[in-house]
Amino acid sequence: MSLDISFIGILIGSIMASSVPLILAASGELITERSGVLNLGVEGMMIIGAISGFALMVITDNLFIAIVGSMLSGVIISLIFGFLTQSLLTNHVATGLALTIFGIGLSAMLGKNFVGIPGKEFPVLFSSLRESIPFFGPILFGQSIVLYFAFVLPFLTNYFLKKTKLGLVVRAVGDSPVSASNQGINVILVRYCCILYGGAMCGLAGAYLSLIYTPQWIENMTAGRGWIALALVVFATWSPIKVLIGALIFGGITILQLHMQAIGFRIPVQFLSALPYLMTIIVLVVISRDSRKIKLNTPTSLGRIFYKEK
Amino acid sequence: MATDLRISNISKIYPGCVANDNVSLQFKSGKIYALLGENGAGKSTLVKILSGVISPDNGEVFLNEKNLKLNSPLDAKKNKIGMVFQHFNLFETLSVFENLSIDATEDNKSLRVRINEILKKYNFSIDLDVPVLNLSAGQKQKVEIIRCLLRSPKVLIMDEPTSVLTEQETEELFISLKKFCDEGILIIYITHKLKEVLSLCDEVAVMRKGKVVSVSQTQNEKVETLANKMVGQKLAKIRKKINISKNKDEIFKVKHLNFYSDDPFETNLINLNFSVKKGECLGIAGISGNGQNELFQILSGEIITPDTSIIFRNKEIAKLNPKQRREYLMAFSPEDRISQAAVPELKIFENVALNNFKSSNFFEKGLVNERKIKEHSKKILSDFSVNTDNVELKSQFLSGGNLQKLILGRELITAPELLICYNPTWGLDVGAISYIHETLIKINDQEKSTILISTDTEELLKLSDRIAVIYKGTLSKIMPSEEVTPEKLGVLMGGGSID
Repeated sequence: MSLDISFIGILIGSIMASSVPLILAASGELITERSGVLNLGVEGMMIIGAISGFALMVITDNLFIAIVGSMLSGVIISLIFGFLTQSLLTNHVATGLALTIFGIGLSAMLGKNFVGIPGKEFPVLFSSLRESIPFFGPILFGQSIVLYFAFVLPFLTNYFLKKTKLGLVVRAVGDSPVSASNQGINVILVRYCCILYGGAMCGLAGAYLSLIYTPQWIENMTAGRGWIALALVVFATWSPIKVLIGALIFGGITILQLHMQAIGFRIPVQFLSALPYLMTIIVLVVISRDSRKIKLNTPTSLGRIFYKEK
Repeated sequence: MATDLRISNISKIYPGCVANDNVSLQFKSGKIYALLGENGAGKSTLVKILSGVISPDNGEVFLNEKNLKLNSPLDAKKNKIGMVFQHFNLFETLSVFENLSIDATEDNKSLRVRINEILKKYNFSIDLDVPVLNLSAGQKQKVEIIRCLLRSPKVLIMDEPTSVLTEQETEELFISLKKFCDEGILIIYITHKLKEVLSLCDEVAVMRKGKVVSVSQTQNEKVETLANKMVGQKLAKIRKKINISKNKDEIFKVKHLNFYSDDPFETNLINLNFSVKKGECLGIAGISGNGQNELFQILSGEIITPDTSIIFRNKEIAKLNPKQRREYLMAFSPEDRISQAAVPELKIFENVALNNFKSSNFFEKGLVNERKIKEHSKKILSDFSVNTDNVELKSQFLSGGNLQKLILGRELITAPELLICYNPTWGLDVGAISYIHETLIKINDQEKSTILISTDTEELLKLSDRIAVIYKGTLSKIMPSEEVTPEKLGVLMGGGSID
């Protein structure tokens, strides 16, 4: 293996690309959870986003429609979750699990006719700069717009939660829905909005996989990334920046261990495959061990059903 | 401008309970009004209606002769009705400032200026940038009050505000409330504490079973007159007839009770020895935190201590667990009703079934005999005059007094020979207290014994045949209660000695 500088640049670029779906889905779920709603349907919403994005691309031949459509499909499927948990007061955990199972099944059915169709090349930005600048070129340039969005998103999310009035309302609802309701905040509405936003981001994360990362439709192509995103949110103790760090570590070690396998390190493959999961958890636990901060960031009412007194 | 708040014919009916029955009241600014009633009298329902949290089935609210439509808390806020709930409506993980800014219409800078003005004016000292969970109960309450003041309220409603405060904090609160009143804010003060009504309020309305039974000037009232109005019958002055003759059998005997703990929050117990006779009530007095918790847990079998001998009905029971002790006819009523004695999320009949004895037939071949449990629960509810007959009700919806009655009823299922209670009337209103006292006396009259661990000396003097004081884990000598005075107890509880 030649460890020249441009190779490392390309490596880092590919690590960033592989962590995009995690960042998107986890950032969306983070907002949902901050409002006190535990939506375990991330995997389901992602896979629905993946198939609808790909299908719309094939049908309309328009990538913009495909991307927007994938987000809309995420919104629609999360609306089912919102209606069940917020209006019909069903249990968050059970409903979320059902959503994932439903999403995987539905996507497989819808995707039957799209297996084997080649994807379309997704336009990248600043591709000329990619080649001309060594090392930084492949990292910073020649990526899709979705990737740039994904890397800005955690900072936007952080700003939204900490600095804006609406972010404050979301945190308040997650802390104590009863108090929020007594303060005249429409808790159900706020939670619906957060659920739908989470759905849109998961849909986009799915579309990134089927349109940009590996442009094709394969059944069950999210391959557990939704679950990783969910775990990231918890282990990052609901902090958007730590979600970003966690996603990069996970993406990084996934790519690195693939290279290590290719080179033929004398470490059992099973251990290498498990490494990303293990390292991500260890690192996140270590960087978020301040128990006081955990308490302040954790949405107290997470997963609890709220109903208004009449 | 003067404020005039009028409530007209308000009714609110919940399944199985009339919370407010045609309530009409009038309030004018410049005075502090008390709304007095037992737990479950309908006070909280009324204030929830006034603050828009729930809407009434019938009736209207007028503010300065304007008919208010209070469909949400927002409507109450818009109409300048401020409300401080008994359970704080704060966001624990947000900072004080964030809590206050959440429903503000102005920008953060001018809001901060206004908050600081209020802090200065009323002499409140609160750091605006710490999370609320770091504040004391008194400070949290001040945050709630500031939140109301920011909206320059015409009406300020305080729901049981002193239940979580220290004496010092209570005094501070009263000073602030009087200031608000002088500034023309109409104050409605909800409580079941009679002394507070007399020291703070100008007028008092008494509620009982959802109805207003009396409105009067506080200067014409005394503790006794208010108590009688609140409970609805003359409270009999009970003091137990002491009926213990010296030669009765000792039914319960503790020897060499020692307990050592590494936990700095637990108290070590040092060589306790005492006995209880048949039909006797042994009172154990003391300021809380002197070992009562540990003593109760050892007596109930939650903690097993080595080398201790506990003889009950001529059998050594020191190594038995709580269930075995119960089956051997002991019964326990712990201090903390919600977390130790009952499970709030369970229904009433399920809580009753928690004492699953062989003798009770609640379970047959591992299956729940629901019909039998429900029948029995119904009997407890009516025998112990719990104010519901719905055994399907979740226990968390019972008021403290009713829950305590239910627990006692459950504990007495087996007709136990010895009942050990720890602060059985803690936090209850006068009506419930007197009911529970009568029940405890009745137990002694039936030749059953009780051990009463309590921090309430009045209660101990009323109910005990003999009294001992626990101080820093040691027990004073046991005295016949006719020789004991409150002063003597006070000296012993403070660690002094008497001769």
